Amino acid sequence: MRWLRVCCYYSQAPAKRASVPSDTLSHIVRDNYLIALLRGKRSQLLDRQQYLSLSESKSQTEIIGLLSEGSYGSELSKLSSESSPIETQRAIRQGFARSVMSLIAASRGDTRVFLSEYRRRFDAYDLAGLVVYKAQGRSWEDYLTTRQPLALMKEAELHRLYSIDDLTAIASEGGDRELVARLKSFSMEDAAGEKASLVRDTINGWGEERFYKYIDEKLSGLDRQNCQPIAGSSVDIANLLLILRSKILSTSGIRDHLIPTHWKLNQRTIDQLLASPDVSQALDSMSTHGYYYKVLAGARQKYEESKSLAFIEVALMNHQLKLSTRLFLGSPYSVGIVLGFLTLKENEAKNLGAVLTGVGAGLPSDELRSLITVQN
Amino acid sequence: MVDCATLSSVTLCPTFWAGLGAGLSVLLSAIGAGLGIGLSGPAIAGAGVERPEVMLKTFIATILAEALAIYGLVVGLLSVFDITSALTIEKGVRIFAAGLTMGAAALGAGFGIGAAGSAMASATAERPEIFSRAVISLILAEALAIYALVTGLLLLFTGAG
Repeated sequence: MRWLRVCCYYSQAPAKRASVPSDTLSHIVRDNYLIALLRGKRSQLLDRQQYLSLSESKSQTEIIGLLSEGSYGSELSKLSSESSPIETQRAIRQGFARSVMSLIAASRGDTRVFLSEYRRRFDAYDLAGLVVYKAQGRSWEDYLTTRQPLALMKEAELHRLYSIDDLTAIASEGGDRELVARLKSFSMEDAAGEKASLVRDTINGWGEERFYKYIDEKLSGLDRQNCQPIAGSSVDIANLLLILRSKILSTSGIRDHLIPTHWKLNQRTIDQLLASPDVSQALDSMSTHGYYYKVLAGARQKYEESKSLAFIEVALMNHQLKLSTRLFLGSPYSVGIVLGFLTLKENEAKNLGAVLTGVGAGLPSDELRSLITVQN
Repeated sequence: MVDCATLSSVTLCPTFWAGLGAGLSVLLSAIGAGLGIGLSGPAIAGAGVERPEVMLKTFIATILAEALAIYGLVVGLLSVFDITSALTIEKGVRIFAAGLTMGAAALGAGFGIGAAGSAMASATAERPEIFSRAVISLILAEALAIYALVTGLLLLFTGAG
């Protein structure tokens, strides 16, 4: 049946696509080591029960002890009871990066290129952090502790960018023309004030778009079909967040900062969202969207209760976790499961960060659990 | 006794057919075994990196793939022992058919074992408890070569000399 579906897919697909059997065959021959490796790694991801145990820990030291045998063990063992949340987050990021680097070392050909493109997303996170830290007048050393170990940009290059005072110049040197155009009406003062989240989201969105464009333009067949929903939903939700944040901040002209590429959130829906007078009505209009109505179910109520947009990021992560789990069940031979694993691993890193920081701050376990996103 | 040197066409020579059959049996079986080991081996190694405890049992895929080469060798050697001065054209073609059957089946089974073995190793790395079920497809792929081995041996040992 799968081959039949594949044939149907190809009868409708543009002629430029490579044949699915040859894609699958090349993954069977080339990526079987990597696939076995990441399936083994997947089995060691923390599950719901383990998160619950961790959230009931009394101190960070207890958590570090519990995780000493796991994939973050070597990084977490360097922390002490006096470690700051920033140091804790950094240790987790390094554990995540080590895991990804081991996959890169085990990959070959197109899959290695794919993983390099995945790493480029972290350049955008670094650049967004750099702009905000610089605008807020914080030191280079402070910024350095927040750096993404997976980013491709060298420390010297970031240091040079940190010495530049103009946002357009930073975007031009660290990014490309598209990023410059998207940040056009922002200034460094905006990145220091209440619009900092908009500037950060715009730069992060540019990174998500680059990755999505790579998947859309360079991948073919099942690789493209499997990766598109995860990368596409990131782009769409990045646009949604930009629009909603602009409504909260009453910022005009947000259209110029939106990601022009889209997956399921088409131009008509974006126009509708932009025309909505406030966040609640915008979220209402999303409840009738053909694809995102399920992802954002009960969004308005959640917003009314929390007056925060954090729930959207949780909803996106939940959706991507579902997609990733489905990929593991259905498509063993495509780069989709590599992206699926990376999504699961990234979520694990976020969850661990939340648990460690929360326990360090003395949050009760009930509150901690609400910060954890776990695949069902 | 047929003197091949006096024949108008090599296709009438029983030694030609018997030799070709013996060669194909060993050659195609070795390619099949190579495919099986080459495809499943890296996956077994990958599974072993994260879960060393499953590595030993997932080795069954490479052992089954190696067995294909042995089946091919058995048919090939038995064929070679049959190449005597008393070989008839009928026996020569039988030996060829036996070698081709064994070799082609081992080639297909080798690919099957490679792909199924690689998936089995991956699945066992993720969930070791499913090994006993995941290995079934591997055994079924091996069975294809056993059918060919039985057919090949029947072709060699039955019929007129």
